[in-house]
Amino acid sequence: MSAALLLARKESAELVKSGRGLAWLLALSVALSALSLLLVSNTELSLLDNAQVVYMVMGTVTALGALLAVLLGADAIAGEKERGSLVPLLLAPLSTGDIVFGKIGGQLAAWAVAYLIALPYVWAVGSSGQNLGQAVAYLALFGTPVVLGFGFYALGLSARFGSVRGALAASLITLILLASPLVLGPGLRQSAVGRIFDAVNPFAAALNSFDSAVIDSQPLSMQLGRLGVALVWLALAFWFARRSVQALEI
Amino acid sequence: MTKIATLLAASLFLLASPAWASLEISLAPAPANPAQPKMGDNLKFESVIANTDAASARGLVAWISLIQVDPGHEQPVDLEDWSAHKALAQGELAPGAKLSVEWPMRLIQAGDYRVVISAVQRGASRPVTSPLVDFHVERKAVVESQRILPVAFGMPALLAALALLRRRRRLRVR
Repeated sequence: MSAALLLARKESAELVKSGRGLAWLLALSVALSALSLLLVSNTELSLLDNAQVVYMVMGTVTALGALLAVLLGADAIAGEKERGSLVPLLLAPLSTGDIVFGKIGGQLAAWAVAYLIALPYVWAVGSSGQNLGQAVAYLALFGTPVVLGFGFYALGLSARFGSVRGALAASLITLILLASPLVLGPGLRQSAVGRIFDAVNPFAAALNSFDSAVIDSQPLSMQLGRLGVALVWLALAFWFARRSVQALEI
Repeated sequence: MTKIATLLAASLFLLASPAWASLEISLAPAPANPAQPKMGDNLKFESVIANTDAASARGLVAWISLIQVDPGHEQPVDLEDWSAHKALAQGELAPGAKLSVEWPMRLIQAGDYRVVISAVQRGASRPVTSPLVDFHVERKAVVESQRILPVAFGMPALLAALALLRRRRRLRVR
């Protein structure tokens, strides 16, 4: 088994199998339950089109996944440093890529579990069944690069800052900025600045694809540009994380 | 003698005629309303309250009422969720004046409905009503509580149970 895989297994076991892991899964499911109950109990929200509701849940799951990735990424290197376990990690026979992939492996496992927990909620709110299959597929297709991109980005900041608090603050501000279309909605696209921001923002790319595929039933061929934005974000964030870990000194 | 008779007749006329102005209310759906409205749509009804009398109408209050008329479900509808504009008060409506009022409404539930505008003025013994306007609200697939509630309560309960089970096992091992 490769060193990166070993590290990824250790990280994912800590995240998913430990008591702490169950606590964040419980928090995630409580957040989704609260949203679902709001959708039923609020007159305005309960009259939304079914596809619109599914879209809202998909956006929220992606945002929660990105939040989780940011929390884990910010702790990945700076947390090791603060706990005094960074030097042994750097002295271990692992390349920079192994460390980055190993750390992100844990995040991938966490996102996979979060995704599985979200599926019953997507099914529950999508009672009409309109584009429910697309919703499940698009959440994986677009959610994964966006969420992992945030994980890499936070990991890079964690390596550069050497402080969990600093990395967390910077990552969260970025997340809030990029996830703003979730709150602002289509109104954002009405100005030139908004359209440019929308075109280069990976979070907006995911949301616009959810909207396009689930609400407007448009095919995958129309989402390729947006998928490209999400993949470029993932690649850039990985490059940033790798460079930041390479710059670490014992 | 003739003067007395005239005064008596005038007094009787004044006593017999009501002390409030006569009103007429027209009501029609707004032209921009969807042809086949469904749950969640917004409708507007346009009414004109006209004072057709020579006297002013004072202390005028007009309100909208909605009645569900589906067979077996005939009932007045509480407009709480349907409309934020449920009534209008007007201090005075001059003789011959007309008051145009729009009544917006969000369609909350499917069914057959009748809408009516009523108005009453200070001292009047009965309200004046508009003609009834009928409309039908189509059903729309919305969020179903039967699907959501088991998931919303079941998932956290399941995870909490797993956490407890895990904690028990740990304590047993120790």
